Amino acid sequence: MIGEKIARFGRAVWTWRQPLTLTPGDLHSTISDLFVWRSSEVWQTFFELIDIPSLFEDGQGSGQVTLMFFDRSGNHIREEKLHLPANCRKTLNISSLVGRTHGESGTFAIFHSAAPPSVIKLGSFLAERGYVSYCYRNAPLRSYVHGNLDVISRGRDGGLQLLGGTSFLSREFSLQYEFHPGIAYELVVLNPTPLKQRFTFKFISVLSGKVRSIQAMILNPGVIQWVPVAIEESGSVRLIIESRLVMARPLVFRIQNLKLDVFHG
Amino acid sequence: MWVTKNLGLLAPGACKTITASDVADIVPEDALPLLSLTRTRPVETSDVLPRMDSAQTSVPAWRATLGLSSPETQTSYQGELDAFPPQGSLLTFGPFVQFGEGVRNYLILLNIENSATSRRAVLEIYDAAEGYFRERFAFKNNACTAISLDNLGFNSGDLPMFLSQGMAAIPLYFSSSGDGAHLSLEHTHPPASLVVHGRRWEAQKLLKTRWFAKVSI
Repeated sequence: MIGEKIARFGRAVWTWRQPLTLTPGDLHSTISDLFVWRSSEVWQTFFELIDIPSLFEDGQGSGQVTLMFFDRSGNHIREEKLHLPANCRKTLNISSLVGRTHGESGTFAIFHSAAPPSVIKLGSFLAERGYVSYCYRNAPLRSYVHGNLDVISRGRDGGLQLLGGTSFLSREFSLQYEFHPGIAYELVVLNPTPLKQRFTFKFISVLSGKVRSIQAMILNPGVIQWVPVAIEESGSVRLIIESRLVMARPLVFRIQNLKLDVFHG
Repeated sequence: MWVTKNLGLLAPGACKTITASDVADIVPEDALPLLSLTRTRPVETSDVLPRMDSAQTSVPAWRATLGLSSPETQTSYQGELDAFPPQGSLLTFGPFVQFGEGVRNYLILLNIENSATSRRAVLEIYDAAEGYFRERFAFKNNACTAISLDNLGFNSGDLPMFLSQGMAAIPLYFSSSGDGAHLSLEHTHPPASLVVHGRRWEAQKLLKTRWFAKVSI
């Protein structure tokens, strides 16, 4: 009995009032991930847009979506409204939409016009966690990765709210991946919370278990940080990200022989 | 029958990458190999999927980086696989078909159930816009089934819809350039992931009821 109570308390330290995603203040808000865009001589970004409300109900909504673009410091740089036919796929060239005057990377969010009544009735919010693809050096194939976090909401008045939850205590997120020598990796981490956050990247030798290098950073809300990883010949490493985020999942770009692999933690 | 083989001990904090060739000697050709961590050794053979004794987390689910590779490259995704209930079903919308000379696209259905008893179900593929039926395929439980998406008449603006009323599965999408030098692998979300908070699983039920009824007209 006492043991059970101690175990419950132990869990509560990590779960009580520490949701992964905060609930938006406006019940009619729609939610989006903050997807990472790249736009340069060698990078192009695409998004597979689907009119989500029409999947729930015929004739729902106008099929209108609002795309909001941000630079890597989280500044709003552009907005675009699009109309979508129901139950079709529209592949957006995000790099063309964002242009080449706002740096080589940033984030974007996609807000559907309104949640269908059947979704609102469930106390739920429509969420765009869809599918981004990247093309590297005009490759004949794009590499897909899906959104993995409900980061930002937009209310009926157009107000934005960051929804990333935080923990009372610092947490470790172990990326389940082994970084190998001779391969170029680029990691990108986002602060999805409304508060400034500190992130510590610890690279640990797989062979010895010792910390090989540490990189710390403080990120403002909505800001992304790139972390290039090049491993010495002395062996592979794994990564632990320490922060107060409930889940500090990075996006990983892996480039070998000029070929791309992208996935999330 | 489920058969378990011990691949070794992993110290806390240790990391190990396992490739298909590492287990080639112990996995029969038609079997689906599943990797899991456990603190106690499971029974070697069982009619039901052995429960792993692990300090599992719920958010995120305990998972691994999985991938496919060619001589020139590899492609990865984050995945985990829990046993599906036998009465489960599948509905997903897959906008991943890529086009170009030599490009090949596959849907990979991944299913496990607690029972080792083999059974089959039918996957139906539709164009979501008008509910046009495109093709029907059989797939198996406790297996990984690859289905080519290349000759089903989908164009770049079509939204393929995959459904099965007889079995649940993880839908993965694999694309390869003609020479295998470029690969892509990712899964689509279950319908419950189209919403957050509230009664999400009812939203999933709502979507399945609506689309299953739509195609059965």
